Parts: sequence; C-alpha cells; structure tokens
Amino acid sequence: MRAFSDIPIRQKLIVAIMATNTVALLLAGLGIVVSDSFLFRGYLARDLSALAHVVADNSTAALAFNDPRAATETLSALRAKSHVLAACIYEANGTMFARYARPNAPSGCPAFAAQDELRFNRTDLVLSRAIMLSGRRVGTLVVLYDLGEIAERMKLYGGTVLLVVLVSGLVAFLLSSKLRAVIATPIFQLVRATTSVSETSDYGIRAAKLSDDELGVLVDRFNEMLAGIQSRDNNLKKALHDREEALRDAEKARERFRFMAESMPQKIFTATPNGDIDYFNRQWFEFSGLPFEEIKGWGWTQFVHPADLEENIERWLHSIKTGEPFLFQHRFRRADGLYRWHLSRVRAMRDASGDITMWIGSNTEIHEQKEKEDELRRANEDLQQFAYSASHDLQEPIRNVAVYSEIVARRYHDRLDDDGKLFLGFLTEGGRRLATLIDDLLAYTRLGVIDEPTAPVDSSVVLEHALSSLAEAIRESNATVTYDSLPEVCMGDAHLQQVFQNLISNALKYRKEEPPQIHVSAVREGATWRFAVQDNGIGIDAQYKETIFGVFKRLHRDARYSGTGIGLAICQRVVERYGGRIWVESAPGEGATFFFTAPESYPQSRSATISSAGS
Amino acid sequence: MKHGLGTFLRKSAISLCLLLCFGKAAAADDSIEYQVKAAFLLNFTKFVEWPADSLGAPGSPITVCILGDDPFGHTLDQIVGGELVNGRKLAVQRIRRTPAPGSCQLLFVSTSEKEIARTLPALGPGVLTVGEGESFLRDGGMIAFTIENRRVRFRINQTAAQRYGLKLSSKLLSLARTVE
Repeated sequence: MRAFSDIPIRQKLIVAIMATNTVALLLAGLGIVVSDSFLFRGYLARDLSALAHVVADNSTAALAFNDPRAATETLSALRAKSHVLAACIYEANGTMFARYARPNAPSGCPAFAAQDELRFNRTDLVLSRAIMLSGRRVGTLVVLYDLGEIAERMKLYGGTVLLVVLVSGLVAFLLSSKLRAVIATPIFQLVRATTSVSETSDYGIRAAKLSDDELGVLVDRFNEMLAGIQSRDNNLKKALHDREEALRDAEKARERFRFMAESMPQKIFTATPNGDIDYFNRQWFEFSGLPFEEIKGWGWTQFVHPADLEENIERWLHSIKTGEPFLFQHRFRRADGLYRWHLSRVRAMRDASGDITMWIGSNTEIHEQKEKEDELRRANEDLQQFAYSASHDLQEPIRNVAVYSEIVARRYHDRLDDDGKLFLGFLTEGGRRLATLIDDLLAYTRLGVIDEPTAPVDSSVVLEHALSSLAEAIRESNATVTYDSLPEVCMGDAHLQQVFQNLISNALKYRKEEPPQIHVSAVREGATWRFAVQDNGIGIDAQYKETIFGVFKRLHRDARYSGTGIGLAICQRVVERYGGRIWVESAPGEGATFFFTAPESYPQSRSATISSAGS
Repeated sequence: MKHGLGTFLRKSAISLCLLLCFGKAAAADDSIEYQVKAAFLLNFTKFVEWPADSLGAPGSPITVCILGDDPFGHTLDQIVGGELVNGRKLAVQRIRRTPAPGSCQLLFVSTSEKEIARTLPALGPGVLTVGEGESFLRDGGMIAFTIENRRVRFRINQTAAQRYGLKLSSKLLSLARTVE
C-alpha cells in the first residue's frame, strides 16, 4: 500500500474530494440522527405522557368501581400504539388491577412504582403515572414503551444518510473528474515539461500556461527558471567549449613542444617553478639509459659527476631562488658508465604577470669540443713554449751576429771596400731587425704567461714610462705627444705599457711629412675605460681595419715603414686577455684613432682562459 | 399536612380493602356486599354532576339519604366520613319519607320501600336515585345495583338521570351493564 503522499495528484484530489464529501455528509447525518433521537425522545415523552394521562383518566371509573375488565378495555386502546409493549394498572396498594400486553411482546409490565416517573432504558421507556380520582390516588398506570422505534428511526436515518453519501459521492466523483482537470491538467503539463526537460536535457522546452492562478504563477516561474538554466547551460557549454578548445590548443602546443623536443639532437627537459624536473626528452633516456621515474624531480643528480654535483646543485638552487638563467658545464654519466661533458642552459618561462611557469633546459654535449679545446690549448701552449724557447735561444746567436757585425764594421772599417761596407751594413741592419723581431716575439709569447692580478695601475704613469722608452724616436720624428688625465685601470703595468708603446710607436712610424701630433685620452664606458690614441698620420684604408691586428701583417712593404708586424698583434692579445677589445677608426690621409678598452676592476671570478693559461 | 396525608392514606386503604377484599368474593355475604355498595355510593358522587341549584351553598355537604331500612349500618358513615367530593363533605341521613326537594342529593332507596314507583316521581330534580335490582330502573330510578357473577355491578337509566338534570360521567356509563 502506497502512502497517501506518494499517490498521483489526480487520485489525491479524488480522495480529498470524496473524503471531504463523505465526512461532511456523515457528520451531518450523524448530527441529524443524534439530534433527531433527542428530539424524538422528547416528543415521545410528551406523547406518551399525554396518552398515559388519557388512559389514566379513563381508568378512574374502572378503578373506582372495581371493574378490571373495563380497565383492560381502556388499556387495550393502546393497541393503536404499536410500540407500547405493555401497560398495567396497579391499584393503590400495588396490586395488579389490569394489564395489556402487545401480542408477541416479550416482557410483562414493569414493577409498580409509587412515584410518577419517565425512565428511558436502553431499549425501552417506562412511564409510571398515578391515577387520581377526586384528589386521591386510586391507582398507578405503568406503560412500557419499546424504543426499538428509535433504533428503527436511526436505522432509517442511517440508511438515508448512507444512500445520500453514496449518491452524493457518485455525483461528487463525476463532478470532481471534471473539476480536477482544472487543477490536475496544468500540473500534468508541468510534470510533462519537467520530464521531457530532464530526459532530453533540452532547456528550450517551455510548460504551457493554462491558468492565471498559483499554478499559472508556478508555470511562469518554472519557465523563467528554465530560461535561466538554458542561458546558464549555454554559457556553460560555451565555457566548456572554450575550455576544451584551450585545452586542445594547449595540448597541441604541448605536442608541438614534445615533437620539437623529441626531434632535437640536444637533451631537453622541463621543470616546475620549484625546480622539480617533470619532463625529459627521448635523448635523455637514450643517453642515461634510465627510466623517467628514476630521474624525474631531483633524480637526475645520480648521473651528475660527483666532482660537479655540489656546484651544480648550488647553482641550480640559486637559479630557482632568483629566477636567473642557469648556465653550467658539467659531466653526465652515460648509460655505458662514461662521463661526458655537457653545457646546460636553463631558462625560466614566465607568464604575463612575470611569475615563473616552468623552466626549460637544454643540455648540449660538448665533450668532443671540450677535448679538442684542451688539445688545442695544449698544442698552443706547446707552440708558445717552443716559440718562447726558440726566441730565447735565438737571442744569444743573434746578439752575437749584431755585436760582432758592429765590431767588424768598427774595427775593419778601413779594410772593407765599398761593397763590403754595404753588405756589412745589410748584415748589421738585418741582425738588428732580427733582434727586434726576436724581442717582439718573446714579448708576444710572454703574454701567455700572465701575472696574478695586482693593484690597479695609474695609466698616466704607465704612459709616461712608455713615452720615456720612446723618447729618442719621438725626438727624431719631432713629434708632439699630448694626453689628458688618465684613469687607474686593472691591467699589468708592463702589459699596458706595451700597448701604449706599440700604438704610439705605430703613430710615429706611419707619419706624413709634417711632424706627428699624437693625443692620448680615455672616457668611461660602463665598467671599462675606453682609451683612444689619435694621430695625424697616413691613416688606414677601411678594408684593412681588421687584418692589421694579425701577426706579421704589415700593410707597407715600404722600407720607410720599418716594423716586425707583431706590434698590433701583441696589443690585441694583451687587450683581449683583459677582456677588452681593440679597434681602429680611420680614413686614408686623415690620420687614425686606435681605441682599446681596459677594465676598471678585476673580474670577480677567474676566467677559464686566464686560469688555464697559468699552467 | 403529614397528619392529613396519613389519615387519607389509612382511609383509602380501608375503603379500597373493603372494595377489593369483599367486592370480589363476598357478594353473598350481606355485610361485605353492602360495604362494597357503600363504597359505590360514595364513588357515584364523583362521577355525577348535579345541577348547580340543587347543591346548595358552596361548602354545604352532599347529603346521602337512605330511605327505608338501612342495610349499611355504620359502614357507610365510616366510608364517607372525611371524604371530600368537589370540595364538599358528605353527610348521611336516614329517612323514612320522601325527602323534601333540595334536602338530599343522593337518595338510596332500600328494598324495604314498596311504593318506589310512586315515590320517585315525587322527588324534585337534582336527586340521584340509587336502588337495588333492575325493577328499580323500571320504576324510574337512575342507578340500580345488581349482582353479576357474584360481583356487585350496576345499571343506569340515563334517561331518568337526564330528566332530573343530572349528568352522569361517560366513564360511569361505560361501566354500567345497561344504559337506558
């Protein structure tokens, strides 16, 4: 049996209508029956009293003249009242005087009672009335009245009520089936609409409004709600679509990145903003022979060379903390157990607000390059060593040539003919040039041996030293050398003097007819000073601006311009050793200005070149 | 009042006992028969309406006269003693001659009287005449005692009663065996 609340509204309405109807009618019927029963009792009491009065009055003579037969006759008039079960007349002393009993009446007369009374029992009514004659009580009339009549009336009423209930119930049922449509149909419409909405998820469905009552309002609200849901659904779908598209785009981008990363010869990886590595490309797995699970996050540290590991981690943490790019050379263990040099670069990718979204890193194997570099460096060092030894060892014989050729020229001056003098002159000149060349070569090779950084030097003092070394040449060429106040720079004083000396020497050498005008100045450029050595000489064709710094590069084979072709090479080598550069600006005939830069302070970390050069 | 009610009840009990005890079974016995008849005499006064002028002044008693030999003895006096009918007391007079008009309201004619047929017409109006035997009615009497099945009963000559201006109650008439 279903609970009332679970049955359909249509049935609920029927039940409600029928129940109301039935209860109302039953209550009305009950009220009628009960009130009737009371009214009827009152009526009965009055009626019976009146009847008793008549009978009693008509019985006085019979009693007075002791005629029970007459009294019995009088009583038998009660026959007309079919509900009178029995009636008796008692004499004053209580003796039965006359009696009447309805045919088939079950009981006899009630007992004599001295007092008048009207007593309703459950099934009968007992009435006792004194029979008076001339103010004297001569007897008592007792009537027993059957209340079955009341029950009959009740039965009749009950039946009537039942019939009315049935008939009105039927009528109500027929009426309600028409009336309930007024309520139920809009609800069915609503239910149908909600059902099809929930089944089809089509929020475009609208319930039909059939009335302007609360149900109509409900339908309106429902439709409004549906409209709201529909628009939200649309927005949601759109948002979902956009999101899917964005996801697809992101996936595409990721695919592209993957493809790119997988296709590159380099090892590629990505890391989360906090430094956990979450992607390695295929090259990594092929190289390391390890699965992703073992090297992800910080698992990669297992294949870093133990000697590099500490600094590696230190630098990586520094980058994660500051967001600065990571650049490091270190060795990774290959699957075969061999360590290979790699150059790793990691850069942070940032979003629009500048927050790091990920790190992207590449590891380029530079092992062969590094080996070649080492080889080259060794070869270079060997060469330098050779050049140094050679130059050093050559100095002695050359000096002998020069010394002895001069001795010959002095002592045997008289004995030599003109040709001999000329040839000796060539020899002396050749020896001197060779000596200069050897000196320059020594100077050049010595540059491979650089001193540990010392305190900054005052470049004007260094320039003065250079000028005093060149004093004779300056005097000979009648040149004027001027200079501004010059700064302190961090270069070895001998090196700086060599640069000044070479540049000024060049300016003196490649002069025009007029006396050379040379000016030295310096301006600050960030952390470096840019020196300029300006002359008014013959100038340099633009096409030779680069080549002039090569070893043994001489623009002029002309005897007027003597030189070993090493000076500018030495300058370049010195300047570059200190991280600077050297260049020239000139036009032919317009003079030339040589520029070079020198550091204001020594770099904090040692450069590999410098440290390797020290060995 | 308590005293009065007690007296009333006692007397009622006596009269009814007389009626019932003797009226039924002892008609043959003279004394019981006349006790019943005496009670009937009293009761007749309750069912008869006299013409207004025949009763005398209000408060004056209803006089029961016995003409001829008295068959009741003290019984009648006992029965009517203290009775009130329509607010009047009852009085008993024993007479030998035809009473004067207005002196008797009820006249019992004893069987000792021989000239009943002559006596009755001589009575004035307003006298209820009671006698014995059916012949009494033929002689012009109004109510006659009879014995039926050993019980005292009575017959009524209504014509006579009407002639003399007396109204007999229908209840009384209904008890009478014959009504002429």
